[in-house]
Amino acid sequence: MTPQTFDAFQVIADPSRRQMMQLLSKDSMTINALAENFDMSRPAVSKHIKIMYNAGFITITDIGRERHCTLKKDGFDELQNFINYFDQFWAGKLKKLETLLNNKAK
Amino acid sequence: MQKEIKHTWFYSQSPQDVWDYLTKSELLEQWLMPNDFQPVVGHKFQFFCNNTCFCEVLEVEPCTKLTYTWQTNSVETKKPFVSKVMWTLLPKENGTELQLVHNGFTALEDLIMHENGWNKCAEKLEGLVNKVEK
Repeated sequence: MTPQTFDAFQVIADPSRRQMMQLLSKDSMTINALAENFDMSRPAVSKHIKIMYNAGFITITDIGRERHCTLKKDGFDELQNFINYFDQFWAGKLKKLETLLNNKAK
Repeated sequence: MQKEIKHTWFYSQSPQDVWDYLTKSELLEQWLMPNDFQPVVGHKFQFFCNNTCFCEVLEVEPCTKLTYTWQTNSVETKKPFVSKVMWTLLPKENGTELQLVHNGFTALEDLIMHENGWNKCAEKLEGLVNKVEK
């Protein structure tokens, strides 16, 4: 199976993944402990974890026989970059509007 | 983490002048982008550029308020995401205060409106990341 790749917005568009991230925001958890909170098969949980991992929202660390999931900043940074881009976009456009309106008044 | 974009700008023209530049397609094009906008609720339109924005008018209150959806593609993956743009005009003594709110970024707010509050979460996140990346 080819691993699916999603962008940051698609990753958080899924309610189960959001819930997983909320649980992980409290503490890092093993995949088993995380799975206990969801009424879905273990492979389904693993699939969500892989998607979050691929998009940089979590890291997975092997400790003994357990796999621990921890939130990672990269995925969230991508969301933030997108918002920052539009923030600057609008600031530039509003300034341009001011110039236009002022020229019109002359 | 910032979850919406807000800008307030003062223009020394009347609300009607500013409104014209927000709602007349040919004037809108001069400062924003080429478009087929019409100030009619339910009208679907586009801002034409490399990364075309697909929009739909949600609210029109002449010289007061204008809202539309704003759907564009993620620059890297080309997958669409939906958001909302709201313009509010406030008459002032010597002109107009224009407020812009751009928010509703897909499910971002749901995630951030998390009961513990995002700041706390972000602090913790940073701590965890530092711990992991040593």
